[in-house]
Amino acid sequence: MEDEEEVRLEVDAVQAVYGDDCCLIDEFPPHLTVHIVPRTAEDSSQQFVEAIVGIRTSAQYPKEPAQVYVIESKGLDVSRQKYLITRMRQKALELDGCLMIVALCEEAVEVLSGMNHPEGDCPLCLYPFFPENANLTLHPFMKLMSCYHCFHSECIIRWWKWIHEEKNENEAHGMSSVGARSQRGRQPIENRHEENKGNCPVCRKEFDKKDIEHVLHYTGSNLTIQLGEETDQIEEAEKELLQSKSEDDRRKQFDELLKLQQEKNGIIEPKKDLVVQPGMYISLPTPQPATDAAAEEEQEIGAVDSRADGTEQTNEVAAPHNKQKNANVRRKHRMRGSRKQQHHPRKQWVQKEVGNSSTSEQ
Amino acid sequence: MTSSSVPSRKVLSKIASNRLQKEVMEWQTNPPAGFKYKVNDSLQRWIIEVTGAPGTLYTGETYQLQVDFPEHYPMEAPQVIFIPPAPLHPHIYSNGHICLDILYDSWSPAMTVSSVCISILSMLSSSPAKERPADNDRYVRNCRNGRSPKETRWWFHDDKV
Repeated sequence: MEDEEEVRLEVDAVQAVYGDDCCLIDEFPPHLTVHIVPRTAEDSSQQFVEAIVGIRTSAQYPKEPAQVYVIESKGLDVSRQKYLITRMRQKALELDGCLMIVALCEEAVEVLSGMNHPEGDCPLCLYPFFPENANLTLHPFMKLMSCYHCFHSECIIRWWKWIHEEKNENEAHGMSSVGARSQRGRQPIENRHEENKGNCPVCRKEFDKKDIEHVLHYTGSNLTIQLGEETDQIEEAEKELLQSKSEDDRRKQFDELLKLQQEKNGIIEPKKDLVVQPGMYISLPTPQPATDAAAEEEQEIGAVDSRADGTEQTNEVAAPHNKQKNANVRRKHRMRGSRKQQHHPRKQWVQKEVGNSSTSEQ
Repeated sequence: MTSSSVPSRKVLSKIASNRLQKEVMEWQTNPPAGFKYKVNDSLQRWIIEVTGAPGTLYTGETYQLQVDFPEHYPMEAPQVIFIPPAPLHPHIYSNGHICLDILYDSWSPAMTVSSVCISILSMLSSSPAKERPADNDRYVRNCRNGRSPKETRWWFHDDKV
């Protein structure tokens, strides 16, 4: 019965680790369910998948491995569910003969952490969350807390605004008009009328306004930046930028710097970096005191650095829930953030100008 | 807000046309069984051929669906009608209008032409009898000046068929 004692201790350990997420169905031989979430540092908005797995042992456990199965999951399609269960079963085979419940749960956490992202296309625009062409902009996405269905933040917000505007219109027109929009407003089944409620476009499960509040600012006034449309706008904005005088000046300066460095066999690495960094476009349009001054090498670098930081920061504010650990992804985000800002160049500038002028005064 | 009655008059928004291009591509690689998209120049009006599913009252019969997309598709539902002659069905009027909640009140922007087609085929397939809706004549008379089915205040009282 030593075994039984050990097994009971193991179950205690699982309960200690998973707390309320662990639900004991049978004490002995243990049969339990564990609510597994990926590691997201407690940031639930960053959690795109979850699963409740069942672990059942026989009286022979640990001499016989535990059985594992998925009870329910969110954000996982069939193939990803299968993958989760396969990995857990492999683990069970590996650990055959040993206590394995803790290890199985850890394996599940590991697997879910590895696939903690939505798959496929945004159900609203039908463009993929992760474009195959890695050069394309990655659009920030989010999930609804109740059902874990994912959407591009802009898409869901656009839709949210649409249904709420529609509602207002209906009220204004006293519902007397006939037409598709008033029709939808009359919808009895759903709580579309309710200011603070919505229904998931995919499964119609009700969600709360606070579910999407953290991305409402995305669209704010520049809802016009839209998928696809954005490309054209960017091209234009970029063209404008690239042909601007300040950019011309800048290019000259960099060319000179580069030449200088090449002549001196100097380090060109950091310069090259600066030239290609996506976030850099943002700061270009503003005539900076630093850039206007003669090209003094160090000063130039300093200015660029501080600007790059600024970009990063604004982006963090704009997309607090879309931080990615992957550096590449992050870079893309920054690019996106910066593009967005092009629509408010003046605003941005005012802020920066203040910062810059104060530094230059010092 | 006034006239979604003439959805085809207003040009598609950029979002709508991007989304429709995606749908066309998806349709081409993975068309719903029983449907044929008849290619034409207009992204805004699709003509789709439906073939009745085997083993149903409509086996082998073909009908044509006309799908018109509004400016703000997919926020707004497309207008979907059968081009007469429409199949004889308790929820399909002789002028081609279809009484199907997802085309009106229950539309969701996550639906696609393809999913709508599948719903329509499923509605056809589950029909118990080839007959017109009880109020067919009255309804069709009321729609005579080319009214869109999206203007109808539909009553969806039967989800069995």
